[in-house]
Amino acid sequence: WKEDLTQKAAEAFLRQQRSTPNLRKLVYGTGTHQFGNLSQSVEDEDQESEDADDELGGLFRVSRPDTASKQKANALDCSKFLVEKPQDWDLEEVMNSIRDCFVTGKWED
Amino acid sequence: MKSGKGNFLILSVLYSLDFEASFIRLIDKVTNGSRIEINQTGTTLYYQPGLLYGGSLEHDCSPSRGIGYYLESLLCLAPFMKHPLKIVLRGVTNDQVDPSVDVLKATALPLLKKFGIDGESLEIKINRRGMPPKGGGEIVFSCPVRKVLQPVQFTDPGKIKRIRGTAYSVRVSPQMANRMVESARGILNKFLPDIYIYTDHMKGVSSGKSPGFGMCLTAETINGTILSAELASNPQGQGEAVLPEELGQSCAKLLLEEVYRGGCVDSTNQSLALLLMTLGQRDVSKVLLGPLSPYTIEFLRHLRSFFQIMFKIETKTTEEEHTGGEKVLMTCVGIGFHNLSKTIR
Repeated sequence: WKEDLTQKAAEAFLRQQRSTPNLRKLVYGTGTHQFGNLSQSVEDEDQESEDADDELGGLFRVSRPDTASKQKANALDCSKFLVEKPQDWDLEEVMNSIRDCFVTGKWED
Repeated sequence: MKSGKGNFLILSVLYSLDFEASFIRLIDKVTNGSRIEINQTGTTLYYQPGLLYGGSLEHDCSPSRGIGYYLESLLCLAPFMKHPLKIVLRGVTNDQVDPSVDVLKATALPLLKKFGIDGESLEIKINRRGMPPKGGGEIVFSCPVRKVLQPVQFTDPGKIKRIRGTAYSVRVSPQMANRMVESARGILNKFLPDIYIYTDHMKGVSSGKSPGFGMCLTAETINGTILSAELASNPQGQGEAVLPEELGQSCAKLLLEEVYRGGCVDSTNQSLALLLMTLGQRDVSKVLLGPLSPYTIEFLRHLRSFFQIMFKIETKTTEEEHTGGEKVLMTCVGIGFHNLSKTIR
């Protein structure tokens, strides 16, 4: 199993590289649909006309859930964050990964 | 919510479940002037929000979901009521799906306090325990009202100084709790000496209608961050019997997973923290979280749809070696929400 370690580390690194800049995209999506980028000062004209469609009498905004969130609406709504891949906490190195989270671990300075 | 007044919500659902119906009735109870219409086939729900009213109430929750399912929503709404909420909830206190009442008591209440919602009346009291499938538990939740929330800066969770917990057993041998405690300690003692897990064996009417046992663990840091983990036995007649030793060990390992995820708020309460940050005064709030749960991600999208607020999301790789996984720093400016219905005395 030791041979796999470097490969695993490389994979983990790549995964992290990929996930880091995408977190915002993952949460809010890439498109400027609905309320779009609040900071965006210049909007496309197309975008504006789309927005106008969504507004009723310039007062109310019609929010249309996208298909992805419609599908999720039928999933179990539970705030618990289940552990998908439990680590083997009997292994020394896994235990070491959180060693300094405790007062018994190493302190800065 | 007050800012939602004037808007209305139409949900299309494939089927409505009994716990959802129970939840709608609960929302109807805590509000004044809500309009709720469900069509004959139960596929469309029309909901027009009323004023959050509060007061002394009671509600029988459907036993197909834990009380935690209902309580979580009440925790979000209770600080913004007209009158302080004091509600008796009956049903399943601990199950395998929802955050248990014990965990919410240990984690969500300290979190509310940090936003300035505190006082003697902030309390969750467990009168009776009830396990699935039949339930029979009872709790009292009371919460004071606040006009404004304080902005928060939680960027350093600090180191874990102690681990506490509760091992409970109802309608089974009281020895089960001790066996769970022993095995959990065996794992956690490798990290920390300061561990105390209470054993809670309720008898008679306080033990609900179904047998079961389980455990909740919390890790508390020097800065007051509380991370939690929990497990419960399979409901009577469903799945194989679990040994208390195995359950204790698995629960201890779940707590270690939660420590690995880390952050200043535990994974169950991420969304509550983000909501209270959103509804804070017009000031910058920051919180360091572990990886965002799918529920939290969906919640952030809802926050954008309802409050037009987007968080700044920064991934923080830990500089130190042995402090668990990646963290996420969430920053936002509160919308400056005021609870105008709070009576001034």
